[in-house]
Amino acid sequence: MDLLLIAIVSPLVLALAMVLGLPKALARNLAYVGFAIPAIIGIVLWCQFGAATKESTYAFLTSYDTGLSGLGINLTLGLNGISMPLFVMAGIVGLAAGLYALQSAAERLNQYVTLLLIMQGGLMGVFASVDVFFFYFFHELALIPTFIMVGIWGGRDRNYAAMKMTIYLTVGAMLSLIGLIAIYYTSGAQTFDMIALREAIAADGLSTVAQRNIFGLLMFGFGILVSLWPLHTWAPLGYGAAPSSAAMLHAGVLKKFGLYGLIQVALPLLPEGAEHWAVILATLAVVGNVLIIGIVTIAQRDLKQLVGYSSVMHMGYAFLGVACLSVVGVGGVVFMMVAHGFSAALLFLLAPSVHHRTQTFDLDEMGGLVKHAPILAAFFVAATLASIGLPGFANFWGELTIFVAAWKVFPTLTVIAIAGVVISAIYGLRAAAKVFFGPQTEAFDKVLEEKPATDLTWSEKLPALLLLVALLAFGFWPKLMTDSINESVAEIYPAVESAVPGDVARN
Amino acid sequence: MESTQLALLALLTPLLSATVIALFLRRAGALASYLSTAAAGVVAIAALMLAYGGHRFDASAEWFTFGEFTLSLGIKFDDLAALMLAVVGVVGFCVHLFSLGYMHDDGYRARFFGGLSIFMFSMIGIVLADNLFMMFIFWELVGFSSYLLINHYCLKQSAADASKKAFIVNRVGDFGFLIGILMCYAAYGTVSLNELPDVIAGGAMMSAVIPLLLFCGAMGKSAQMPLHVWLPDAMEGPTPVSALIHAATMVAAGIYMLCRIEVLMVADALNVIMWVGTITALYAALCAVVQSDIKKVLAYSTLSQLGYMVAAFGLGSYQAAVPVEIGHADGSMQMGEVFIMVGGVGAAMFHLTTHAFFKALLFLGSGSVIHGCHHEQNIFKMGGLSKKMPITFITMTIGVLAIAGLPFLSGFYSKDAILHLAGEQNSTIFAILVVTAVLTSFYMFRMWRITFFGEARSDEAKKAHEGGLTMTLPLIGLAILSIVGGYTGHNGEGLIYGAAFADVWSQIPHPAGIGVFIKSIAILAVGAGLAFALYKPGPSDGLATKVPAAFMGLTLLKESFDKGYDYYVAKIQDRFAMVLNFLEQILLSGLIIRGLAGVVGLFGLGARALHTGSLHTYVYWFLLGAVLLWGFAGGLF
Repeated sequence: MDLLLIAIVSPLVLALAMVLGLPKALARNLAYVGFAIPAIIGIVLWCQFGAATKESTYAFLTSYDTGLSGLGINLTLGLNGISMPLFVMAGIVGLAAGLYALQSAAERLNQYVTLLLIMQGGLMGVFASVDVFFFYFFHELALIPTFIMVGIWGGRDRNYAAMKMTIYLTVGAMLSLIGLIAIYYTSGAQTFDMIALREAIAADGLSTVAQRNIFGLLMFGFGILVSLWPLHTWAPLGYGAAPSSAAMLHAGVLKKFGLYGLIQVALPLLPEGAEHWAVILATLAVVGNVLIIGIVTIAQRDLKQLVGYSSVMHMGYAFLGVACLSVVGVGGVVFMMVAHGFSAALLFLLAPSVHHRTQTFDLDEMGGLVKHAPILAAFFVAATLASIGLPGFANFWGELTIFVAAWKVFPTLTVIAIAGVVISAIYGLRAAAKVFFGPQTEAFDKVLEEKPATDLTWSEKLPALLLLVALLAFGFWPKLMTDSINESVAEIYPAVESAVPGDVARN
Repeated sequence: MESTQLALLALLTPLLSATVIALFLRRAGALASYLSTAAAGVVAIAALMLAYGGHRFDASAEWFTFGEFTLSLGIKFDDLAALMLAVVGVVGFCVHLFSLGYMHDDGYRARFFGGLSIFMFSMIGIVLADNLFMMFIFWELVGFSSYLLINHYCLKQSAADASKKAFIVNRVGDFGFLIGILMCYAAYGTVSLNELPDVIAGGAMMSAVIPLLLFCGAMGKSAQMPLHVWLPDAMEGPTPVSALIHAATMVAAGIYMLCRIEVLMVADALNVIMWVGTITALYAALCAVVQSDIKKVLAYSTLSQLGYMVAAFGLGSYQAAVPVEIGHADGSMQMGEVFIMVGGVGAAMFHLTTHAFFKALLFLGSGSVIHGCHHEQNIFKMGGLSKKMPITFITMTIGVLAIAGLPFLSGFYSKDAILHLAGEQNSTIFAILVVTAVLTSFYMFRMWRITFFGEARSDEAKKAHEGGLTMTLPLIGLAILSIVGGYTGHNGEGLIYGAAFADVWSQIPHPAGIGVFIKSIAILAVGAGLAFALYKPGPSDGLATKVPAAFMGLTLLKESFDKGYDYYVAKIQDRFAMVLNFLEQILLSGLIIRGLAGVVGLFGLGARALHTGSLHTYVYWFLLGAVLLWGFAGGLF
């Protein structure tokens, strides 16, 4: 039995079943199963990963003919040390988002959950695909439901936000598709299989010019998808409007597609191209994402916008790690992606929970919520501290490792990036203080008269707890993940590191 | 039990206690308080067993590896760590015990004691850390627990602001600290406290940049100018927290860290450190003079004493000439001498220890007063407490005398060691520190006289009463330590210390002769005399009525920093953020997206339909594309 295939297919099958008109109550109960299966499979495979036999870093390899073998496309599934942590993260975040959605009071809940299930299937497929074509295909499969969910279930400005997201993300996806197809042709391997591509290019590398051009396409294409400055403006707007579960899955998991593509595909196959663009990428990431967006985040008065901007800011660290082109840097990025997946999802889960009680996202109209909802306050402060990189939470290890790697290559930029640690503390703690601490505002008093605030309900607490436990588990025990990441990255990345005239850059 | 296990027991018991409280005891305040206090008791016993049982060891475990970067967590347990651990354990237990009484009626007792346990865990992590990365981790965690505990009365705006300020200011310091750690790692290839001395002894390049960046961390945590602004505000936290975290242990972590990285120090860096400490000592002592809140007096006093310790470290204890081989560019080797400047570890740690005892005593005493007066903190509304609260009065008097440097009390010895160093090294520093000592005696006697004597000046003070046994016992214990904590000999042994901390104590300079006593008594007498001349127990500040210009000047001096920072935050930082945000909204959302839509138009009519039409169009395009591709691959056309 191929667990990977089951993890991808089971949410999709359940989505199909819901569309075909299962009785509502039954459908909802089955939907729980649809969200739980990928998470459980993720954890089971994670436990087996260390002992599994691996071929070119990939374990659990299976291949299916989909009728596209004429183009060198097969549905090849497998996990390596880079994709495995992300696969597990996608499963857990998906389960949390599903639990939250199923207990929410969204209109037309069945359709909403159907779209989430499709998204979940796509997400699992993205990280389980060894075939670049399907890697892309599953991304699109997960992306389309996002647009629809923003457009229909979104909040303020949902039409504009959905349109803007669609334009940006479509352009980003197109650019990266062109880049991927270019690899397909120029490598001469006539295959989309990652392992075969790696072998073909290792034997007979691409020309420097081709590498530079293709990497540029991929960098900006994937960059748009991960909200690289200045191509990020869709993100705060989109997340501001997106319904909570869609924002959780997109900001937490789907957004990582771009970074994952850079790490798994672009860097190993195009080392010289990466080297050519590294300084530009690092500069955009640090000056743009970390510094400028960090300061812009300070000015936000809308809680959800603030969370959206902070998510854009933290992607700067990830790009900086990618630009280091080293095992240490990439290891840090993978760790950071997983950690950020949990913490961003948690914040996007809690922000609507705050809204539910205050009836507003305006920070100036809140205050003193801790008195009514101490557990919500505890979760929110924990999520904030996790996202600003407090040790004990997973994010810290990612940031620290990236800083260590970046210091060797870009010391000045690293200093600016570390200044981001102060900036994120400013906006994070300000937001927490404005929402929860201090005396109640008059506006909030009025809201309370009409609708007394209660603490987190179990339907909110359970998914939040799932994410928080994951953050703490990896925060206290990073080895859970780092060994397998390190093993795979070290095997894939010698080509990249040797292509960089490191001794020049490092001295 | 093995040394490592004992150390891990001390480290992990508080973490376990915090976890249990967070998960199960949120509504069971009494149980939580007992659990947390029991954990602190275990820590104290383990700490004393480790310190006095001759356990000295190193242990390390690899925590994770990426490529050539390995982060390990480990324990370096030498005399320095043993001393610090013993101080943390003993003072920590006293404060926990005191809190049982002080926080008895607090509605959020469980959260408070959970916070104290997290603090103990984090603080012990700093003490045990065998490398700078690990120290940084726990460094941030004590910052978090401090945030949590300052924010205990979180519905008060002032508490919410103070906790935020403490965390952010500390992060500013940590910004430098982290860069320093990264530079250290890049320059020496290691951040291990055990390996660094070998690397340095091997003739590695030294620079003042790395120690000064690391010192930034100490400036944040130990509240040295200009990062001192958070500590007075941190008094918003419950008084036991002020005693433990913001007086005795956490704020002293900066000094401990400096002693840990002594090997990295060079003369230039020590010079800067010395001046920062000295100026902080004087500035804070001046500010303390015009405070009317009993805790604020003690807070500025703490700042001033921390400045003393930092100055002591910067003064250095001796300079040693070490012969080394110097390699030249042409490959030849030559013997030369390198002057190694050694930080004043002995004097700094000595004052840290005695200060931990007497300042914790003073804070707990003030807590007892505040508790007795039903949370009145203004000394001008107290008065007459010497009769109503005799135990608090006597113990606090011992604390005041100790900090003022009365001969044969602990503060006398440690302060004198520092003044002796200063007298040998730098007469300007010596003069400033003597003035500071006079001021210390002055503001402490001012506070003591106004608080305890005269008529009770408010209803709260009239109804004042002594707290229970859990509150008076820690006071008595700490008072005894404040008396005997100063007895150390030339050979590194001490009355209550035995030979356990010989490595540290042997570095204390011991001034001799009768002059020392005369000097100390003179300092104390001048300060106390001035205080008695200027202040009478009454409802108004004597200085404000007798010398209004001085009072206003000092108030302005105290407020200037806060005003400066407020101006920076409101007028510079936030405005800059607003301008950037404005540009972000206008330029990016407006112009570029339109421009991009124009470019996209070039893709053709199909693409245009995609962007101007409904969402569903995109779905159809996608499906059509998929079908075409499948068809193409299957050889249909």
